[in-house]
Amino acid sequence: MKNKIILLAAASFLSLTACNKKDDNNSTATDFNTLKTTVLADFTNNVALPSYGDLKTASDDLYAKLQTLNTSTNDANLTAAREAWKKMRGTWEQCEGFLFGPVEDNDYDPNMDTWPTDYNEMDSLLSHASSFTVADVSGYQLSLRGYHPIEYMIFGKDGNKTAADLTAKEKEYIIALAEDLKNTCTALYTSWSAAPENFAQQVIKAGNGSTKYTTKKEMYKVIVDGMAGICDEVGNGKMKDPYETYLTDPTLAPYGVESPYAGTSVADFKNNLIGLQNVYMGTYNGKTGLGLKDLVAAKNKSLDNNIQSKIAIAIASFDNITLPYGQAIATQRTQIQATMTALNDLQALLEGDLQAFVTQYITD
Amino acid sequence: MCRKAATFNDDGYDERLSGGGLSTVFDMTSKAFTHAVDGLSGRDAHVQKAGDVAFEQTFVSSPAPLYGGLGPIFNNVSCISCHHNDGKGTPTAGDVRSSLLFRISTSGTNEHGGPAPMPGYGGQIQDQALQGVLPEAKISIVYADVAVTYPDGTVTHLRKPTYTMQSLYTPLTGVCSLSPRLAPPVFGLGLLATIPEETILAFADESDADGDGISGKANYVYNPQTRQTELGRFGLKANTSTIAVQVATAYQQDMGVTSAIQPQKSCFGQPQMNARDVNAAPDLPDSTLNAVIFYIKTLAVPARRDVLDPVVKRGQQLFAQLNCSGCHKPTIQTGVDMTLPAASNQRIHPYTDLLLHDMGDDLADNYTDYLANGSEWRTMPLWGIGLFEKTNGTPYYLHDGRARTIEEAILWHGGEANKAKNNFVQLSKTDRDAVISFLKSL
Repeated sequence: MKNKIILLAAASFLSLTACNKKDDNNSTATDFNTLKTTVLADFTNNVALPSYGDLKTASDDLYAKLQTLNTSTNDANLTAAREAWKKMRGTWEQCEGFLFGPVEDNDYDPNMDTWPTDYNEMDSLLSHASSFTVADVSGYQLSLRGYHPIEYMIFGKDGNKTAADLTAKEKEYIIALAEDLKNTCTALYTSWSAAPENFAQQVIKAGNGSTKYTTKKEMYKVIVDGMAGICDEVGNGKMKDPYETYLTDPTLAPYGVESPYAGTSVADFKNNLIGLQNVYMGTYNGKTGLGLKDLVAAKNKSLDNNIQSKIAIAIASFDNITLPYGQAIATQRTQIQATMTALNDLQALLEGDLQAFVTQYITD
Repeated sequence: MCRKAATFNDDGYDERLSGGGLSTVFDMTSKAFTHAVDGLSGRDAHVQKAGDVAFEQTFVSSPAPLYGGLGPIFNNVSCISCHHNDGKGTPTAGDVRSSLLFRISTSGTNEHGGPAPMPGYGGQIQDQALQGVLPEAKISIVYADVAVTYPDGTVTHLRKPTYTMQSLYTPLTGVCSLSPRLAPPVFGLGLLATIPEETILAFADESDADGDGISGKANYVYNPQTRQTELGRFGLKANTSTIAVQVATAYQQDMGVTSAIQPQKSCFGQPQMNARDVNAAPDLPDSTLNAVIFYIKTLAVPARRDVLDPVVKRGQQLFAQLNCSGCHKPTIQTGVDMTLPAASNQRIHPYTDLLLHDMGDDLADNYTDYLANGSEWRTMPLWGIGLFEKTNGTPYYLHDGRARTIEEAILWHGGEANKAKNNFVQLSKTDRDAVISFLKSL
């Protein structure tokens, strides 16, 4: 009996070391204690900072493209501006995989991404305002700032606005909006990367000098909360609301769909989940490192497999929704329900088993 | 073999369960105030979620297919804009991030015994407006430094605010009282609503018969939904009797959004009124209003932290010895709400008696609110106070957010709380820190 136990122990020890050797990518630290710190550092340096950096770059590019459109208003430049908008949107939606810290505390999220847009107010502005400066825009209500007013004006209600349709006032407003957006994205990046907030350091030094997160346990809870939160927002909010409203008021339902003019709604939802995946896997845009997956795998490979699988299922399910979301809620309801179910499953796993994992194993 | 039933020992209760067994959530992150109570049925959870979404929803001007009705004058565009993460916000006014608003009144009372509206302004100053509409006024906030020196020589700085109306769209007529109100946290209200009236009234001692310096008084207020006068328990001067009226009035006054309970625009009778809004259908569908009311009613209380820490325990002892608990009642038993088992028969720790107390000249706003005079405020619940720095990034305390730390908040206590405050000041630094550590654990 004793020999059997020793053999079993030896076997599992061997398999453990084998696992560790295989997962040894960027970091050489593989013991759990060090892993807890390294994962935070890799998340910050490989996922969060580059994501926000790309967002800032994309906002600079959108601004530049809109200025070009302003000086040389033609359809080619309008298309270029639209592409820049879509690219920036995709990057932002991935950033929503970790909606904690300054993006939330400093209101950068609502400053950029409020829905719906207030069309009456916009029309009023365009008729009455003598000029638009970025200072004016930053004082407007949230429904007049950020992505969606820009989207409305460069895509048009049915997505078929032409360059000739753009009025001088609209162009002026668009430029001010883009500058405001650029300022927000720059401030967001700086809040993480530089003084006085240095939020990146607050995350990396969680439980080790951070003033915001005095334990690593709390830090991981917040990260997992962010993942579960975006599942909830997409599965029980952004997708569910129009889907359900369709049953009682089919003409009203499409108005609840975000990004309808650019037609990126489903792409946005999918990017939200890719952002979640980035956080879990520790990867972003080709860069790899340690992620939560490594922490979980170190103690409970089966849970890690389960999470990875549910994330992949959720992401893949979006590909079955092929119509613009405002139409899909009418004729692709089965596919939508399948996605929402996949999101709910993932959310339950994150809020349940993964949070329990954090409570049990991240004891600082 | 049968053991005679004995009283359950106080030590047997789990001190962390501030909201009782079913309404407490273990979360100390920025989301601590945003969770639903346990045990909601499938349908109730669905309604709760709908209310959650509506609470965070930005409203726009009418006409709009969804979420119309903002304005014409307002303070902010969504519930969450002021109640950051369902908690307190930032004490600025007139800004997208602002969480401070100002009630206004003139001398006398209205037909229900409440504050008399200032002609041209109503009962609240709305400092934002739709395009082409005049906001009622702007408020400037200036802070003056006040140094407090402890017997041991330590100095703490308080900041005393002065509020001035500027850019008035129309002159004031008559004596004006301004009452600054920082958005309070919105969790735990379902539990507070379920405390039996007799319990609250039993805490009252208006003539200070027991001679402890504390004379809590109940506020009786008008309920526009039931059209009765009822015991007030919500709002900074306990001027609202039910969650339903609190929510509907906040929509109407703070956002300009009308509903079945408050069908009139906040600027009715004023030039900002849009003719189209006179006798118009409510902006907010009943289903949305009810969902938000239910959402608020079912928000759980965050569990206490560090309950076994000896410093926290020392602070808890001092809290009682100083008689802070004279107003900030640590333990209350709720009654029964047939629609909400999670709030029924719960042993909760709100640290409030829901009564009005004179807090002294330094905190007085000189604004009368039904039976609350210009120096009286309802005891603020202290549950969750240790998490304000999580939910708002930077924490602010007291009715207008003047206090930047819990210590500052204590030092502002005056009037009926003078004795307790002075005894606090006399404590050693170690003991003072212990009291604060205890409060941070709530």
